[in-house]
Amino acid sequence: MSSLLSIKQLSVVLQNSTILSKLDLSLAQGEILGLVGASGCGKTTLLNTIAGFLKPSQGVIDIDGNIIVDESRYLAAEKRHIGVIFQDYALFPHLTVKANVAFGISHLPKTEQNQRIEQLLAILKLSELSESHIHQLSGGQQQRVAIARALAPQPKLLLLDEPFSNIDARLRNELMLEIRQLLKQVNTTAIFVTHNKDEVFTFADKMAVMAEGKLLQFDSPATICQQPNSYQVADFLQLGSWLPCQLSNNEVKTLLGVLPYNNEQSLLGEGEHKYSLLVKPSQLNLQSDSVKVNAQVEYVSVTEQGYHYHFSSLVDGDLSFTKLSLYSEEVLELKQQVELSINSHTPLVYGIG
Amino acid sequence: MIALNNSKTWTFFSFLIALVLIVPVLVMLVGGVNASTELFSHLWQTVLPTYLKNTLFLGCLVVVLSLFFGVSSAAIITYTNIVFKKQLRWLLMLPLAMPAYLIAYIYTDLFDYAGPVQRSLRAWFNWQSPNDYWFFDIRTLPGAAVMLALVLFPYIYMLTRGAFEQQDQNLIRASRTLGFSLRQSFFRVALPLARPAIAVAASLVLMETLADFATVQYFSVNTLTTAIYDTWLGYGDLAAANALASVLMLLILFVVLAEQKSRAGLRHQSTRPSFTRELIQLSITQQLFASILCWSLVILGFLLPFVLLISMALEYSTAAQLTVLLETGVNSIKIAVIAATITVILALFFGLYQRLHQHKYRAIPQQLSGLGYAVPGTVLAMALLSTFGPIDHWLNSLLEQFGLPEPGLILSGTLFAIIFAFVVRFSAVANGTIVSGIKQIPHSLDYAPATLGAGLKRTLFKVHLPLLTPAIMVAWLLVFVEAMKELPAVLLLRPFNFETLSSQIYQLISDEMLEQGALGAILIVVFGLLPIVLLNTKKETS
Repeated sequence: MSSLLSIKQLSVVLQNSTILSKLDLSLAQGEILGLVGASGCGKTTLLNTIAGFLKPSQGVIDIDGNIIVDESRYLAAEKRHIGVIFQDYALFPHLTVKANVAFGISHLPKTEQNQRIEQLLAILKLSELSESHIHQLSGGQQQRVAIARALAPQPKLLLLDEPFSNIDARLRNELMLEIRQLLKQVNTTAIFVTHNKDEVFTFADKMAVMAEGKLLQFDSPATICQQPNSYQVADFLQLGSWLPCQLSNNEVKTLLGVLPYNNEQSLLGEGEHKYSLLVKPSQLNLQSDSVKVNAQVEYVSVTEQGYHYHFSSLVDGDLSFTKLSLYSEEVLELKQQVELSINSHTPLVYGIG
Repeated sequence: MIALNNSKTWTFFSFLIALVLIVPVLVMLVGGVNASTELFSHLWQTVLPTYLKNTLFLGCLVVVLSLFFGVSSAAIITYTNIVFKKQLRWLLMLPLAMPAYLIAYIYTDLFDYAGPVQRSLRAWFNWQSPNDYWFFDIRTLPGAAVMLALVLFPYIYMLTRGAFEQQDQNLIRASRTLGFSLRQSFFRVALPLARPAIAVAASLVLMETLADFATVQYFSVNTLTTAIYDTWLGYGDLAAANALASVLMLLILFVVLAEQKSRAGLRHQSTRPSFTRELIQLSITQQLFASILCWSLVILGFLLPFVLLISMALEYSTAAQLTVLLETGVNSIKIAVIAATITVILALFFGLYQRLHQHKYRAIPQQLSGLGYAVPGTVLAMALLSTFGPIDHWLNSLLEQFGLPEPGLILSGTLFAIIFAFVVRFSAVANGTIVSGIKQIPHSLDYAPATLGAGLKRTLFKVHLPLLTPAIMVAWLLVFVEAMKELPAVLLLRPFNFETLSSQIYQLISDEMLEQGALGAILIVVFGLLPIVLLNTKKETS
């Protein structure tokens, strides 16, 4: 599939501080990318650079075969045909819903304008609100207007900056599914920024994890969750607990048992001497009546998946652990001692220093 | 939340004082409405149409000019890369400190037939008489409009610039992603969004213009204010003056209502702070035009007249003038201090009543007390004369009946009337500052003292008033400065042989002798600068 968006070696330096560093990214027509990362990692800067609000210090941005930014070219925001949905929606409060949607297509003949507006308002269930002013709408309705306005000029690429952060939690999932369906319907490529990995799973086809201005991993959400390529990615996405381990003779040794390890699948960096095994709650076994106890309960909370426990190891040493997470229907008391063991699985071991 | 207090005394006095402040204007309006139809028909057949026409034409001209000066300079400062932007940003506010009648005098002096400009032109081109060339006459209605616009445009500049700076920059970005350049986005988004602020500022300019007396009087342009003054002081006809004042008051009410109606559907000021703003990059020619516009406004509205005043003061000041200046200065300061203190105390009284009392209509006293700001000084003076005059006469005849000595005009003929007028006129200024100070205090602090055993008095003196100290100081200073500058009310209400700085300067201007009082004029301007510096410092800090 040919790329609609291609970013190569993109760097942004603001006030002598590198915000984006040599970033590479490409997206196919109609793909939706979810961009996640901690606050200040450069997500919004990347969006602003693609939109044309920030000038990169180096790199190339190519949209649909046309270079919009490189060493000699810098296309102004208004000429890029990129739609943006801002976190606060940035709707024009002095205009009605219809006038907001019409804003970007005022150069078209009136009949075509009306046709496009009516179509979008119908898809987004806003037809009855077309003459309303923005302050008369709910948060969800405002978001739909922002989407209609951004889609009206039929942009090649749509950028969404934390679009669901202002939406009530109950409505959020429903809206995400609706918008995803709409974007797929009009075959629009989109990038959206979020803090919430669950939003990526619901909304995106691809996922990119950023940290300190760099792209750590770029793949499908499922692949990233199954095979996070670094300790940072796994830790940021909170894919499981960390269990200290030792590597020897194709084996991973932990306090909770030994697993076979294939060096060819190594995710370790050079010079690392401390290792941790990523353990998902489902990979742990709990035996509360065992005599071979090796862990004790440090924390209990009630969740919809059952009781959520944190365990610490009973012995100190290089392999001891302090916060191993596990869900169970079984009722345990604080400081109760139990036996934990690991299910057989392909281990994900990361160097942590 | 439940309000803290239920004191009936507080309610009684709040409503009573607010009513007392506003009653004179009501008395005047009732008097005006009840004036004989004969009187109105006489006025209508003689002078009223001209006065009305002049007043309205002047108002429109000043608003149009001020809008052009104010909106364009605000746009240039906020949205372009004009050179010396940082300096121009505050310099453009300075003309507000310059009374219009002062620049009217200075520019007349500069541009009339005997002035240095025409003298130099005649010398250069060897013209012998006015028939040899054309030169504009500044002492006309358009001339008065230019003078007023040069000192009133900063209202529009400041409010519009504030609106531009508060706008969410994402709106401009959104417009750009929809295909419009920064310049187009300014006209399609930023300017329409600033409309409420521009409307407020324009109505302020219009009200100030309708209230102006000294400039139009000096330029012999007959407007309603000059007519009121002449009818009362020239012909002693209180009823006719009252009727004219009522017409002017109705005009002002119309402006206030129109402004509020125009804003009703435009509740859309941004609530998000703005961040890095992209600037329109001006070409060299555009830089030149933008700079000429902004610097002309600063120079013509403030720097040139101020420098000329200083040079007059250096050339003509004498020891005798200093003695007179000291005397009138002390008079001005005395009444301004008393008025500012009373006004701030009342503003606190009303503001805290609104905040802490549980009365259903607790906001009314403050709203009533703020209405006076819309009443021009001339109208207010007429209102006080028509209210206090009869009370004085009644008091005198009452005391006479009891065989007691007559006290004279203790209300309408003493400083009481001027101070009362200042309190009515400037309550809105103090109210605004005190209310915004009160809003800064979290509501939890109204309740916390009670949980620690403190009563209302202790809560007020130990919590609210200490927290309000900065607001109290700012409010006091603003009212003090306004009172120092106020002229029309002083002219009509001052006791015999009592002069303030402003009335003395006006007298000297009327006698074409400003040179003798240049030092006093500089003092008025310097006092006028105080709130501008204060507001600017506050804005920069926030």
